Amino acid sequence: MIPDRFKGLVFPAAALAALEIWARSVDLHSDSLAPPSAIAAAFGLAISDGAFLSATRDTLASAFAGLIIGGAIGLAFGIALGVFQVFDRLMEVTVEAVRPIPSIALLPIALIALGFGYRMEIAIIAFACVWPILILSRAAVQEVEPRLMEVARALRLSPADRVRKIIIPAALPRIFVAFRLAAGIALIVAVTVEIAINPIGLGAAIMAAQQGLQPDLMLAYLVWIGVIGYGLNAGLNLAQRHLFGRAALVGDPA
Amino acid sequence: MTSRGAIYWRIASFAVAAGFVGLWQLIADLRLVSPVFLPGPDRAWASLVRGFTSGDLGSKLLGTLEHMAYGWFLASIAGIALGALIGSSRSMRSYIAPSLEFLRPLPVSAIIPVAIALFGLTQGMALFVIAFGAIWPMLLATIHGFAAVEPRLYEVARSLHMSRLAVIFKIALPSAAPDILAGMRLSLTVALILSVVCEILAGLDGLGHSVLLSARAFRSADLFAGVILLGMIGYLTSLMMSFAEARILRYRRRS
Amino acid sequence: MVALSLVVSREASASKSARPQIAFSNVALNLGGKAIVEDLSLTVRPGEFLCIIGASGCGKTTALRLAAGLYQPTSGSVEFDGQPMRTPRRDIAIVFQDYGKALLPWRTAAGNVSLALEANNVPVSERAPRIDALLKKVGLPNHAGKYPAEMSGGMQQRLQIARCLAQDPKALLMDEPFGALDAMTRQGLQDEVLSLVAAANMTVIFVTHDLEEAIYLGDRVIGLLPNPGRIGIELTIDLPRPRDQLTTRENPEFLRLRRELFDFIKASEA
Repeated sequence: MIPDRFKGLVFPAAALAALEIWARSVDLHSDSLAPPSAIAAAFGLAISDGAFLSATRDTLASAFAGLIIGGAIGLAFGIALGVFQVFDRLMEVTVEAVRPIPSIALLPIALIALGFGYRMEIAIIAFACVWPILILSRAAVQEVEPRLMEVARALRLSPADRVRKIIIPAALPRIFVAFRLAAGIALIVAVTVEIAINPIGLGAAIMAAQQGLQPDLMLAYLVWIGVIGYGLNAGLNLAQRHLFGRAALVGDPA
Repeated sequence: MTSRGAIYWRIASFAVAAGFVGLWQLIADLRLVSPVFLPGPDRAWASLVRGFTSGDLGSKLLGTLEHMAYGWFLASIAGIALGALIGSSRSMRSYIAPSLEFLRPLPVSAIIPVAIALFGLTQGMALFVIAFGAIWPMLLATIHGFAAVEPRLYEVARSLHMSRLAVIFKIALPSAAPDILAGMRLSLTVALILSVVCEILAGLDGLGHSVLLSARAFRSADLFAGVILLGMIGYLTSLMMSFAEARILRYRRRS
Repeated sequence: MVALSLVVSREASASKSARPQIAFSNVALNLGGKAIVEDLSLTVRPGEFLCIIGASGCGKTTALRLAAGLYQPTSGSVEFDGQPMRTPRRDIAIVFQDYGKALLPWRTAAGNVSLALEANNVPVSERAPRIDALLKKVGLPNHAGKYPAEMSGGMQQRLQIARCLAQDPKALLMDEPFGALDAMTRQGLQDEVLSLVAAANMTVIFVTHDLEEAIYLGDRVIGLLPNPGRIGIELTIDLPRPRDQLTTRENPEFLRLRRELFDFIKASEA
């Protein structure tokens, strides 16, 4: 019997081996597919010549800038809507009307307003990141243990102190979850914008590899983008567990 | 009493939204932002009406809806079937789930170049990309839903000697329904985004391509009309899912 | 009284057949290397109401699950009607303690009863009248369209019993069915179960931690000793039937039996 922790490796290993054998048996020379060995070679080359590195830097820089800007806006509004119920109820229709606009639909608007480059990409990422953070931080604030709010009232804390000393610390684990989810979204939107139109970063690089009829490099980029996505997700999960313990993962909407 | 209060709040909330539209009109009228970039709501609305009455906005809208729907349906059927297969067997889960966990955070749009290389700039490419992107939320939700079926219900099924098929359709699938519906809702959003991206890249007939052309020609009113329409698709499809959820999950109303 | 005449016929049929309905011979069960029950031998006559009591962790639920075919013994054998139990059978119905988990939350009361009829391949046209009759039998005639989440705990347990009766079982296995209910609801359900079981002439194994409940319901009470579970005491209950919440519980014999079981539990925990 295979030990449980190795069972997960059986399927990908078998798939790779099958692909390699198939590619060799038909002597594959394709513009769209490459055997795993060729992908691995292209992967190694792209790492050593710095192509991965510079493209990754562009993509991650845009993603993080968008996450910070969108996150700050979403957090500010989320806390405000969570604290002031009147504000929440008045803004309800506006939020419901703007939220469903797919972020990528703003791409043409951002394009004519900001042109190609970082600024346009960051603006779209920021728009996409506002909503999950706004919705989740609003919920986190609204669901702060009512007993804590009574303590705040009994201590006659000022509204600013109430937010700073009670609400934000109490809601922090769930706000972190919101940021973790938004970070994933930021990466997805960044790559999508780059693939669709913006000539920078990993998305543009993988498109260039496709158009240059280099399937080995294209698939190496695909694997690399997967590694980045997985690494980001795993790193944030680890950070969350480290910062807030396992309790923070309870009620995780992901 | 409370429901009447809720209606008043709703009206007030609509008034605030109308206020924002008014503010937008004011900014446009005062030309605080160049009309090349920002049309007023009046011009956007006029373009929307003109697009439907004398233009081809209707057919663009249908094009996008078609891309979205085909990909989403394909993903739903494949996602739920595969999810049921993997989720209902412990050994399948231990072999396949780690691979899925690894693939889950992959930005799905990265598959687009591969799809273009395989299928060219065609409808088939769009269908593949949209279905591939939309399958993940449903696949993972279905696996989770099937794995989380109350064990007591399986014991009830055993004591009734229910067939494997009956167990899937009468116990596991309905039990996983809340997860599956949540996955389908998420997939709908993914399908809309990928439809727009594929239309932009492949020049397929749809709103994505049409807003890009409007932007290139600096026809900002048409551009905003298209974006508003895309927002409405997002809103209405999500509303549709809410109705479906409320209907299918009505048994949870008191729990 | 109807119940009285049924009791007579039930005892007549019980003496008619010599073969036990359920028979455990030298049953042992190990789970994860730990002996849960050991050398368990017992027989249940057709139509008999057997109660199993014991301190928590004594394996009484395990014994019930062995009888149901949900567990296979590590050694020894469990037989039903003379045939070895390998899997659960449709003519053995189990009433689980956690009724909230054992009902399908997405089906109405009628739909939950229907599940058993569907599994028995009862034709569609016959289902509705049988569901109506079963819901009426357990006192839920006006709740057919309600979902479990809309029902109280007592009603949910009645519903689970209705689904079990829909299996037309020869034997009913009940695992602390009333443990989570309040005292008034519990007493009402005890009497209803007694009359339902008598009317259908079913064999019952009833697991409970409530000594009085065991004496009140049973023809016989078995007490298990813990670690590993084995039989420590066996009492025949000769209290007259039909039983009555007031007079039966005041009967000197009832009080004597209660004392005996109480001493047994105390000794087993020491």
